[in-house]
Amino acid sequence: MTMNDDYLWDPKATPDPDVAHLERMLGRLRSTAPAPPVVANDERRTTNHERRTTNHEPRTSNDRRAYLGARFLAPALAVAAAIVLMVGSTWQGVAPGPSWAVSTVIGAPRVGASALIGDGRIAVGQTLTTDASSRAKIEVSDIGQVTVDESTRVRLVESRDGRHQLALERGTLHAIIAAPPGQFVVSTPSATATDLGCIYSLHVNDDGSGLLSVEAGWVAFEERGRESFVPAGASSPTDRVNGPGTPRYDDSEQSFRDALDEVDGSKGSDPARRAAALRFVLEHARGRDAMTLWHLIPRVNRVDRTIVVAALDARVPMPASISRDAVQQLDRAALDQWWDELGLNEASWWRMWKGKAPATR
Amino acid sequence: MQHVLELGRTLPAGDLLTIPARTAALGATIRAVAAGDEEAFARLYRDYVRMVHAILLGRIPRRDVDDLVQEVFLTAYTRIRELRDPAAFGGWIATIARNRATDYLRHAREVLELPDELAGGDPIETETFAVLEIVRALPEAYRDTLLMRLVEGMSGAEIADQSGLTPASVRVNLHRGMKLLRERLGLETAAGNGPTRVDPYER
Repeated sequence: MTMNDDYLWDPKATPDPDVAHLERMLGRLRSTAPAPPVVANDERRTTNHERRTTNHEPRTSNDRRAYLGARFLAPALAVAAAIVLMVGSTWQGVAPGPSWAVSTVIGAPRVGASALIGDGRIAVGQTLTTDASSRAKIEVSDIGQVTVDESTRVRLVESRDGRHQLALERGTLHAIIAAPPGQFVVSTPSATATDLGCIYSLHVNDDGSGLLSVEAGWVAFEERGRESFVPAGASSPTDRVNGPGTPRYDDSEQSFRDALDEVDGSKGSDPARRAAALRFVLEHARGRDAMTLWHLIPRVNRVDRTIVVAALDARVPMPASISRDAVQQLDRAALDQWWDELGLNEASWWRMWKGKAPATR
Repeated sequence: MQHVLELGRTLPAGDLLTIPARTAALGATIRAVAAGDEEAFARLYRDYVRMVHAILLGRIPRRDVDDLVQEVFLTAYTRIRELRDPAAFGGWIATIARNRATDYLRHAREVLELPDELAGGDPIETETFAVLEIVRALPEAYRDTLLMRLVEGMSGAEIADQSGLTPASVRVNLHRGMKLLRERLGLETAAGNGPTRVDPYER
């Protein structure tokens, strides 16, 4: 065996440069899926597709005899199994792994690799995928509904009391949630949306960037400590590099939103362009855009923070009880008091879900 | 790779455990899984997920691989009582994975367009998927073994232990698979080694 083959056989041997390069490259494709949830007793769960494809597994001659016997006894066994399941689930209190009801709105969505015909269920760890001509609806436990648009891929990450999470890998979903803040979470490649009791839409592009648009209530949008609290009628873009962008009302001018994107850094990092964009935002912000200006305070550097604070002060005067210096230092209590002057929900309400101040840039 | 010696206790494969001891340990795990022990199932998953993932990655679009990995293990969990010989578990679950991939591809052709990999425009991802496509085009024995080695980071000994192949077969598959891959990637010429290198396994 050559030296190169030694490394092929044993990764602890002296590395072969070509093999090591291929390892680094292809190693990105390594499995990340967690073990599937299984039931705690003998009533073992199968997916719809597995029930249709049970002939593929290797069988011994003994198994074959058992299989033939089972085939003729199948109708009787099915009835018996149904009774056992009903009695067992009531008597023993043992439930299968968490899953949500899912239904086809149009076309042929897939749960896992199996086509969803009509109604079905999606279990923790499974993925719902729609193509360009299909849509689906998911019942989020007992707290709401999510409609999944065309060309979307979403995974059920977690479902337990007080915590339900989806991962939106690409595409669009619309959520209607009626639950206390913080119970429903949707992660995306570039930010995580935490429902604060609301109706909202979330879109993710193939490159991981996306857009959160809130129709009613509030949504917290967070990634790596950068947070946005997005009220009804507002949106927040996001991308892999910068995370959640500064929230802005959807009825603001396009030029205002473009300038905010520049400030957020989603259009590059040219300092001169960014400075010009910040000036544009501060000059063209309306009274209700105080919400946007407040979010800008921790997102800009200390020098720019001075003019952002002045701009916000011009629209919603700083409370007398706080100091400009405290705001400059991003003092949480000071920022919260100013927020309470904006005429939106009080900061104490939406801080309850996490108890954390907006982070600095 | 790790095998279970006693329930709740794992030891590395290799010199510490003889083949009969490893088989006995695997048998204990499988019996525990058959009895509904979720922790034993999690250990079995951890020990064999790399092999199953590699087999599926060599056959179906990456975005569906994780889903099918889970389905394969759920199938194994459901049917594990059918397994008579614990030592055959690796080959058994590999067969489930290959059959599941075949079924997926048949279903995809009948119902859906086979989705392409999404590289997202990132040049590194684009190169990665391009190399993956070349590996996928290799003969099955080379493809599976190379993906276990290059994607999952398994050693030759681990591949042999899990897949049920003999160590000699794994060595040959790795050598010839890598030789073919080098040729198709143009690495032989670039390295100056030339494609005429002697194959030590040539009969």
